[in-house]
Amino acid sequence: MAIVKTQAAPRSARVKAARAMSNINSPAHRGDARLAWILILPALVGFLAFFAYPTFRGIYLSFTKFTVFTPPQWIGFDNFVELAGDDVFWNSLFVTLYYVAIVVVVGTFLSLVTAVVLHRLTASTVVRGMIILPFLISNVVAATVWSWILDAQLGIVNIAIEALGGESIMFLTSRGWVIPAVAIIGVWKSLGYTAIIIFAGLQTVPASIYEAGRIDGASEPQMFRRLTLPLMRPILAMVLVLNVIGAFQVFDLIQVTTKGGPANASLVLQSYIFGKAFGQFDFGYASAMALTLFVFLLIITFTQLRLLRASESDTN
Amino acid sequence: MKLQRIVAGAAFVGLVATMTACSGGGGGDSASGTVNWWTWDEKQAASYEKCLPGFEEANPDIKVTISQYAVDDYFTKLTAGFVSGSAPDAFQNSVPLLGAYAGQGQIMPLDDLIAKTGFDTSVFSVGLDSWKYTDGKQYGLPLDWAAAAFYFNDDAVTAAGYTADDIKNMTFDPETGGTFGEIVAHLTVDANGVRGDEPGFDKSNVKTYGVGSLASGDFNGQTSWNGLVSSTGWRLGDKASWPTKFNYDDPAFAKTLDYVRGLADQGFAPQFGQFTVGGAEQLGSGSVAMVEGGSWDVTTMAKVPGLKLGVAFMPTGSDGRSVISNSNANNIFVGTKNVDATWKWVTYMGSEACQSAAGVDGTFLPSIAASMQVAADAQAEQGVDLSPFTDALANDELYAAPPTVNGQEVVDTITPLFEAYFSHERDNDVFAEMAQKTEEIFAK
Repeated sequence: MAIVKTQAAPRSARVKAARAMSNINSPAHRGDARLAWILILPALVGFLAFFAYPTFRGIYLSFTKFTVFTPPQWIGFDNFVELAGDDVFWNSLFVTLYYVAIVVVVGTFLSLVTAVVLHRLTASTVVRGMIILPFLISNVVAATVWSWILDAQLGIVNIAIEALGGESIMFLTSRGWVIPAVAIIGVWKSLGYTAIIIFAGLQTVPASIYEAGRIDGASEPQMFRRLTLPLMRPILAMVLVLNVIGAFQVFDLIQVTTKGGPANASLVLQSYIFGKAFGQFDFGYASAMALTLFVFLLIITFTQLRLLRASESDTN
Repeated sequence: MKLQRIVAGAAFVGLVATMTACSGGGGGDSASGTVNWWTWDEKQAASYEKCLPGFEEANPDIKVTISQYAVDDYFTKLTAGFVSGSAPDAFQNSVPLLGAYAGQGQIMPLDDLIAKTGFDTSVFSVGLDSWKYTDGKQYGLPLDWAAAAFYFNDDAVTAAGYTADDIKNMTFDPETGGTFGEIVAHLTVDANGVRGDEPGFDKSNVKTYGVGSLASGDFNGQTSWNGLVSSTGWRLGDKASWPTKFNYDDPAFAKTLDYVRGLADQGFAPQFGQFTVGGAEQLGSGSVAMVEGGSWDVTTMAKVPGLKLGVAFMPTGSDGRSVISNSNANNIFVGTKNVDATWKWVTYMGSEACQSAAGVDGTFLPSIAASMQVAADAQAEQGVDLSPFTDALANDELYAAPPTVNGQEVVDTITPLFEAYFSHERDNDVFAEMAQKTEEIFAK
């Protein structure tokens, strides 16, 4: 390796000259390309094997009838025609959007508040570190523990509600509550992570700006709205995009807490796709749904980035 | 150039490693080696361990590994195993999945093996026909059979002025509920000690429900509503096997299910989704006086501390007593590398020796009559009464769950509709839709 390095250093110094002479095919340059390919190779193999190939195969499978054990059979757009008329699919899309909406709105708001409170009120690294703890717990463990906490009979939440004179709420077993309840678990899980990202962003805002604000007589909420928010826009945009994509990927929380019940009230798209593929062996149809979800996500993310002008803050 | 050598070296090592890994799994001649067997029931896994010494003594070259995976993951794991070729050599399977596995060519027809080794399938007194696929071939050897029963708290029954015989001889009709309805109402007690059939009963503050929830999303209602509706002469499928429709659109079905849902509305049974713990916990904690459960629950129920348990079979209706029953069976994976050894293990599990050895635990009801008797006697000594089940079998009061095609799709489609019905999102108009959906799915 040492040899390679010492050879590379003077070569890179010569690159500019080489480019100026537009002598790209010089033997020295060709050697660079080879090294570059070797260095890229591991990542490239990973990308091709675990990303590109499955994606294209998934797209291909969505136009087939495929039950795993027999070769796929080309059926054109039949899966998509069936999809358009599949009530369960549209219901699960709605359920997913409902979940995403709650997670994104509540999650972003709470993580912003948490980050600002951390930033303005405490310098303790222990407290700051504790915020991220839920993020470190596996989703399955979190979901299992929360399903006990929210249990209609034995859950501590309902015991508290009953002690206060209320009636026990079937958080995970009634249609009205199930998605908000799972969404709260999702928010609790991701809150620390997004709060830390925002917190890091807050630290980049110079204290002098707040000093200036204070001199001009701005109150704490005013400074938050007029100073913090505009300066934080790129960070918030990123948090928003992360939250949306993360929320769309919900699966394990649902699988552990409700399995899509009651009466499909929490059947998110991922669960439906999973059930079709691994329960009913209908991999063609499941692929068609996955492709549709992929297209939705692409459109949503693209629109979001454009609308939020994520690459620029309001400083300039 | 040095780099090249490193890369080449690494590649070579990788190649050799892969080759040795491959050759490691490939070996294995006839009737020796390792047989992997899976079940989803942890209690049965422990019981069947008792068959191992006898089997390995007779077949010293074969090693059997029993693995158990929780039922929630079991079939997913199995599917993944089929796809990757790493499925167990043989495994316990449930009737609704016969259609999928046999139809997709993932399990072996056993007729040739049966003929070749002269295995006598007549040892099974129940369950054999449920494991014939539409091609008429035998794909499974029965392991067990199961039925449902009402488990009741004998003290609560006595306190209500009934005897155990009253519970064992309940009658049912969907109009009035029969003596079943009377008993359930009377066994229900609210927080002030007022019984369900007495004036001043507070249905929103019930201490002990007369019966555990009979509302279930289960497509055949095996341990919930099935016994009640089957007592009216209703049957799940329009044919005994490979039906083209499930008879959810029968008016008698809607009437009975309305009655079942009404029990919760009257406060005689918990609301759908209200209780999250199992029947044994509900009965043991005194939340219910009676609960329906599977025959596989009987040993658990009998061991609930402080509970004097009674077991009763289904109530008698206009068409007598009847409930759906199912038989799990052993299937053999087509990808098994060791057919002979696997067949030896599967047939040993289907022998009186193994069924009796494992059956004495009462964790399942053996499919072989002689072993069933051994199991019943052993359990009777421990104070567990299996006679409601054995009597039902003897009196022909069980009907086999029909094997179907696309079983999993039926489950996924029907379960949410039942849940919608029991949580009052839908009314009994849902049943016609359910019947129609089953017709569509079976026709696929």
